[in-house]
Amino acid sequence: MTVHPDKVFAPTGAVLIIGGGISGMQSALDLAGSGFKVYLVEQSPAIGGKMAQLDKTFPTNDCSMCIVSPKLVEVGRHRNIELLTYTDVLGVDGEAGAFTARIKRKARYVDVDACTGCGLCELVCPVTCASWFPESWQDGATPKLRARDKHIIRAKAPIEPTTCASWTFTVDAEKCASCGLCYRACLQGAVSWHKKEPAVIDQNRCTGCGACFAVCPEKFSAVTVTAGEDLDKSLGAALYARSRTIIKQRGESGRKDCIRCGLCTLMCTKVMGIGALTMVEEGIEAGRDICQVCGACASLCPVGFLDIAELTTKTVRPLLDEFNEGLNRKKPVNILYPQAVPRVPVIDEASCVHLNTGFCGTCRTVCGVGAIDYRQQEKEECIEIGSVIFSPGIEVFNPRLRGEFGYGIHQNVVTSIEFERLLSASGPTSGVVRRPGDNRHPKKIAWIQCVGSRDSSRGRDYCSSVCCMYAAKEAYIAREHDAAIEPTIFFIDMRAHGKNFDAYIDRAVDHQIRFVRAMISRVYEDPVSGDLELRYIDEQGGRQIERFDMVVLSVGIQVPEHTKQLAATLGIELDRFGFAKTNGFTPLAASRPGIFVSGAINGPKDIPETVSEASGAALAASAHLATARGTLLSEEILPQEKILEPDEALRIGVFVCHCGSNISSVVDVAEVTEYARTLPHVVYADHPLYTCSQDSQETMKELIEEHNLNRVVVAACSPSTHEPLFMSTLRQAGMNQYFFDMANIRDQCSWVHPQEPEEATAKAKRLMRMAVANAVEAEPLTELEFGVDDNLLVIGGGVAGMNAALEAVKQGFGVYLVEEREQLGGQTRKLKKSWDGQDFAPYLNALVEEIEAHDKIRVLTHSVVVEQSGFVGSFESEIMTPSGGGRRIKHGATLVATGAHEYRPGLYGLDSRDEVMTQTDFETAMVENPERSASWHHIVMVQCVGSRCEEHLSYCSRICCNQAVKNSLRMRELNPGTRIDVLYRDMRCYGLSELDYRRARMAGVNFIRFAVDERPPHIDTDSAQLSVRVYDPSIRREVELRPDILVLSTGMAVNEVDDLATMLRVPRNDNGFFIEAHAKLRPVDLPSEGIFLAGTAHGPKNVTETIAQAQAAVGRAATILANKKLKLSGVFSVVDPANCAVCLTCVRACPYGVPVINQEHTAYINPALCQGCGICVAECPAKTISLGRFNDKNIGAKLASYQDRQPVKEVLDG
Amino acid sequence: MLPCTGRIDESLLLKSFENGADGVMVVGCLEGDCHYVNGNIRARARVQRVYEILGQIAIGPERVRMYNLSAGEGAKFAAFTTEFYQKIKELGPSPITIARQSKPREVPVS
Repeated sequence: MTVHPDKVFAPTGAVLIIGGGISGMQSALDLAGSGFKVYLVEQSPAIGGKMAQLDKTFPTNDCSMCIVSPKLVEVGRHRNIELLTYTDVLGVDGEAGAFTARIKRKARYVDVDACTGCGLCELVCPVTCASWFPESWQDGATPKLRARDKHIIRAKAPIEPTTCASWTFTVDAEKCASCGLCYRACLQGAVSWHKKEPAVIDQNRCTGCGACFAVCPEKFSAVTVTAGEDLDKSLGAALYARSRTIIKQRGESGRKDCIRCGLCTLMCTKVMGIGALTMVEEGIEAGRDICQVCGACASLCPVGFLDIAELTTKTVRPLLDEFNEGLNRKKPVNILYPQAVPRVPVIDEASCVHLNTGFCGTCRTVCGVGAIDYRQQEKEECIEIGSVIFSPGIEVFNPRLRGEFGYGIHQNVVTSIEFERLLSASGPTSGVVRRPGDNRHPKKIAWIQCVGSRDSSRGRDYCSSVCCMYAAKEAYIAREHDAAIEPTIFFIDMRAHGKNFDAYIDRAVDHQIRFVRAMISRVYEDPVSGDLELRYIDEQGGRQIERFDMVVLSVGIQVPEHTKQLAATLGIELDRFGFAKTNGFTPLAASRPGIFVSGAINGPKDIPETVSEASGAALAASAHLATARGTLLSEEILPQEKILEPDEALRIGVFVCHCGSNISSVVDVAEVTEYARTLPHVVYADHPLYTCSQDSQETMKELIEEHNLNRVVVAACSPSTHEPLFMSTLRQAGMNQYFFDMANIRDQCSWVHPQEPEEATAKAKRLMRMAVANAVEAEPLTELEFGVDDNLLVIGGGVAGMNAALEAVKQGFGVYLVEEREQLGGQTRKLKKSWDGQDFAPYLNALVEEIEAHDKIRVLTHSVVVEQSGFVGSFESEIMTPSGGGRRIKHGATLVATGAHEYRPGLYGLDSRDEVMTQTDFETAMVENPERSASWHHIVMVQCVGSRCEEHLSYCSRICCNQAVKNSLRMRELNPGTRIDVLYRDMRCYGLSELDYRRARMAGVNFIRFAVDERPPHIDTDSAQLSVRVYDPSIRREVELRPDILVLSTGMAVNEVDDLATMLRVPRNDNGFFIEAHAKLRPVDLPSEGIFLAGTAHGPKNVTETIAQAQAAVGRAATILANKKLKLSGVFSVVDPANCAVCLTCVRACPYGVPVINQEHTAYINPALCQGCGICVAECPAKTISLGRFNDKNIGAKLASYQDRQPVKEVLDG
Repeated sequence: MLPCTGRIDESLLLKSFENGADGVMVVGCLEGDCHYVNGNIRARARVQRVYEILGQIAIGPERVRMYNLSAGEGAKFAAFTTEFYQKIKELGPSPITIARQSKPREVPVS
């Protein structure tokens, strides 16, 4: 009998990620790092999303751009991530494992591969406004426009001829029709003309304004111009260059009066083809009816004389920079933001003059690599993938829908995201806080919370989760920028529910940030001063009127309409607000199989939660593709590395980059190159236009070969973005990639010294000289490779550990699941129902059953891990089993999921009186003892019992408010007549759980707020009748409650794992929770490489969040376990045992505890663990530790070559 | 450029003065924000030691100073640099530089 195997199904080993924010980027890196091909689609021109727009991040005040830009670069450079920016997804067909996505790549008009991101196009583009293109110009026909509405912009002083004329105008006698137009146009009397004779220009009187050139009719074109800078490129480029020259010569202080330089006229007539401007005796004559309002004339004017609004009768529509929330202007050709990846501009079809009228085209003529392509067209493509991650992100609420706050009417009312840009050092005000109305420094700033959140009248019933914290952060940072600022935050509940958030709020209070619990009814503007008046009822019930200089609206987050449409196209279900519908036990799976959701589409959330979900979604998306892992990757084939002969002479090649004109407009690159040739060992030096461009890299390889170079120095831009590129080029050319150094002569030289070209050139020489000196001392470094064991050790068998184990085996890894207790299940065993009403018991049983049935999961209950040695990829651990014997296991990564438990403080008679219980006890009683619970007619719940206080738990346990709401609702269902009073400090029903909170209020649950410092409730549990006296602020009097039972929300305390933490050498915070490697971007990594974290051992969280985090931790672990080998950076500390005195200094100094004393009795630093900071190198008294490129001889060589002379040693010795 | 200010030791700072620097700025991450946990705190201590040494050998302790900045604070960096430059300008060339200028290289010693 023949057995028919199931249909052989080979899934596609690729994943489509929709949305290139921090979520999409993290998913992409995790997937690509664990063997899958990634297509990362982003609708905007660059990845980075909302996080790139933020200034700082809470609760660490980390600079957002500083932490996100390395990720941007990594995504941009990853071999297995194909970035598809400025691309829309049209649809996804097929089924999980074998989808086909249809995408549309929008026309960018710039060749992404050729562009080097130098930004020259954006610099020279003269257009600043959305034009009103001439209506009479159609189908390419551009009949000459005739102005009827002429208006003269009068110059204050008479003609002041510009003296910087390097342009020469001549009349071609053969073409001249002797019409005399040029004669009449010339204001300098430089043209002599007689009827029937060709005009002649007197070069001595000509100022080079080009009036003759502008006026000479096209059909004759008798006037020609020669000898101007950049004229060989185009007139537009030459006008830009000339404008810069005039500005340079006149200096910034030049008065704002017309100098008749003629740039505006030439621009309007000859570049834009409009001809609305003419120079006349009195000033500039504007044809206001024909002006297309492109803004080119004004942007070029070197003296700031022209105001575009005066030149036209049409509305001026400045192009607003959406990245800066419209707070400043942009050009039609625009790079989204300076650190954008890809750093490639997009040309805006709507506003580009060339794309609309065929004129201008200046950007194309200045692009040194020919990347501008006006004929580019959008195209549709299909890509084959196995699954989809949908992480499209959010937008902010439109504050105009809350008209009472006056956004868009009162100039000094801004949104929080706008304020974020105002704080940012790279924002429109360079981080100086100014109010938009009058650029004045504001003193009193008010934040109004919940604008577009917790607001059912605007259909935003949910809480946006992040606004309380970001408002506190913005206030905090604003005060850091300007200590005179007095911030006030008007809030309803302070929702600081995340890890270390409460401590942050406390710091904010210490930082003189005022928090006022009040809802603002309206914002009035004083029309004279622009100040704003806020009216509110304070907590005592008094009416207050307070004036502020500026108001920030803490706008909520929402799902954009186009995202909802895209979700519909993808066939995934959303709730009524547009958030994805998911199941509480599979939180990252969308309703359509094979599509996963991550980030704020899954409900409002902050960055760490988003990053965590992103790793989880990466794992979930690859679970059914595990068999296709590695099938679609491209491997780089490298030539054999050349080994240098011991006596081989140094042959250094130096490349000094122009960076278009970014460097060369300030630094004399030719001179720097010439100087390089004089330095010892330099055998080749040149100055390419773009050293980083694709063809320059090819040339570099050829030059290395041709000149037999054994060291390369590049003087160009920032090593943090470009060093990996050059180093890989060296490696491709067969060199060791560490025979390289880079001098940053752009960011650290030409960009900061544009006004001092000579000094800048001298500095560039110095930086380059130091890099050459360092290259002389460079040594070849080896990037070690070692094998990886594909087993995962999971410590803790609760919901987190069990989910992690099952996820890991789906990926094909082996698992050791170690649980201290006899039974798997952890804390969740004590809970009954999830927030979405599902029973925990059958869920847990199914998990246990599946785990026990799986042969790749080895469950060790009643066991503890007692020792771990080794390093990422190859750990070895000893486990103490019930038999008392130790069992040694090998594994590539470790996952800590040791959990937490409900805290039981000895307060209010808990554990001594039956009528006093915790929320979990209460939940259990409702399910297991319905008769008893039916006898309760009055229940009082008290929140924050033993939480947020110094004597017990100092933090917020995040889950208790929701637990109280959930249990109240359940009780009202079971016994609708029962009265429930909930005494609370802040109801922290974050995100979509706000809906339940609202439901509970509607259902008649009574919520009474108390202030713990001022009027804490008096709870009497000693008398026979329980009694609670509390001041109720809503009726402003004290009430006495006499409940049948008292339910305490006691919070969550971490399980004691002192020994484990010490053994793994991983840190914990004051509250005993593990500290992740980075609070924002590595939320499930522990600081020791290869050890991960999930569940409540990280911080309090609910079951759904725990499951998502377990998936995340395995997703991160997969980036190690899925690789057969791991490669390390070549830069790590090495101890030379010869001089080691075993003084233990390095052992104590290393912040990561890496150095150990080995069996040979010398210090040993494991390269796999070393982070490469060099602290031990500096501390070692015997100077016997070296660190790759940062040894004393390297730094010493740089210091010695700082001054242009021989090293000081000779002098001193001499 | 170094991976971390924690890589700097006293000898490197002193060597800079030997090599003719009139002032040395050490710029690290904000305290508490060190990319490598505590390297900048160690650097601060080392800069302090060099500060004392420079005082003892009459070169002038103010010629070395540590600043802390985040990567997004370009304007502040410029302000710090200007401030330090002005300070050094007031102090004039370091005694090492003066000594070297008054004792040209050709002068044979021993």
